[in-house]
Amino acid sequence: MSDGKLAKDLMIGIFEYPHIPYWFSINQAVRIIKVSFISTKKFPEPMAILVFDEKYNLMGTLTLKDLLKGLEPRFMQATTKAQVPEEDESGLAVIWDSLFKKDVKELAEKPVSEIMVPAKHFVQPADPITKAAYMMVHHDLVLLPVLENKKKFVGLVRMIEVFDEISNAIMSE
Amino acid sequence: MELIDREDHQKLYLQLYEILRKKIETCEWQVGAQIPTEDELCRMFGVSRATVRTAVLELVRQGYLKRQQGKGTFIYRNIISEGLNMQTSLKELLLEEGLEIASRVLAKTVMMPVDDLDQKLDITPDKHIIYIKRIWTVQDEPVLLQENYIPYHVCPLLLEDDIENHSLFEIFDKKYGIKITRAKNYMDITRLSADEGRVLGLPEGSPAILLIQHFYSGDTMIMYARAVKMPDRFQFSVELERKVV
Repeated sequence: MSDGKLAKDLMIGIFEYPHIPYWFSINQAVRIIKVSFISTKKFPEPMAILVFDEKYNLMGTLTLKDLLKGLEPRFMQATTKAQVPEEDESGLAVIWDSLFKKDVKELAEKPVSEIMVPAKHFVQPADPITKAAYMMVHHDLVLLPVLENKKKFVGLVRMIEVFDEISNAIMSE
Repeated sequence: MELIDREDHQKLYLQLYEILRKKIETCEWQVGAQIPTEDELCRMFGVSRATVRTAVLELVRQGYLKRQQGKGTFIYRNIISEGLNMQTSLKELLLEEGLEIASRVLAKTVMMPVDDLDQKLDITPDKHIIYIKRIWTVQDEPVLLQENYIPYHVCPLLLEDDIENHSLFEIFDKKYGIKITRAKNYMDITRLSADEGRVLGLPEGSPAILLIQHFYSGDTMIMYARAVKMPDRFQFSVELERKVV
């Protein structure tokens, strides 16, 4: 298995990621992603921004996917598998030219609080990484906050380290 | 004698103010001497009484002149500015004494430098900054909304400090040994944003005084502060240390 490794053994510091308050706009978040990652050619896995409240409590995370999703027009967000047959996107072909272009500036003024993934799940420093792996798999997370005493945000566990650790265990057995 | 240039785009009272200030600073008008009356100044410079009054008032406000009730206006100091007698706390900037001044922290969090904050703080745009937003009240009445931006690496533990009951400068100095040695202040007129108006209890777009401050320790930028204040309530005082010639 993972040699009894704990979340604190794998976690990375929170200042590895940009921080923003929840009232920042998507536009501001996009600029921060560009400055912090893309223009510096730093591509950590995942590229994400941490969103905080006014008391510096972690509220949620924003990945590139979340940001792009926030820039979709509302009618796209309403699309569900019940309305469009799976794998059949031909009905949407007419909008490819306008998607992420038309009204995108207006949509980018929305606050990030509307599009972030709320930080509902976390582990504690002394939790085993198997718990972190379980939570990431079952809650579809790529980044998991580590909270001390269920309150103080002290680090982040990433999928890549969890995967690496578990894959090492498989290969050695 | 230097005269008002009506072709000049500068306002008349500012031109007159400059002329009179030069007379004082070059000792053409000696300290202690009485300046000409308003009527005499009107005749001398061919301007209205309102122009003279505004220029003289500015010189009084800046400490060059002193008015004596029933006697006239006198040269008080022949002065050269030598820089700010630095006031670092907002309490020091509010003119009235004896008033109950308090601050409430609305936000104390961490963010990235957006817009041109990186340039203002002299940091790279990927550096984290501490953001503090406070409302200042005088006699329980909101008068000023202040936002402070501090590079995170300057004072990483600041987030855990009690900034409601201690001034930032006291914390910088006593806890972290950071001495603020230089401050640049800028004032302007602005209009309140919707959020600022909500906090100050005024409609969006209301006129307000904007105070921008840059604080340094040596050559290191420690903090950038932006404050908006209602113009009709209380006054700022910015005191200048001057050398008497």
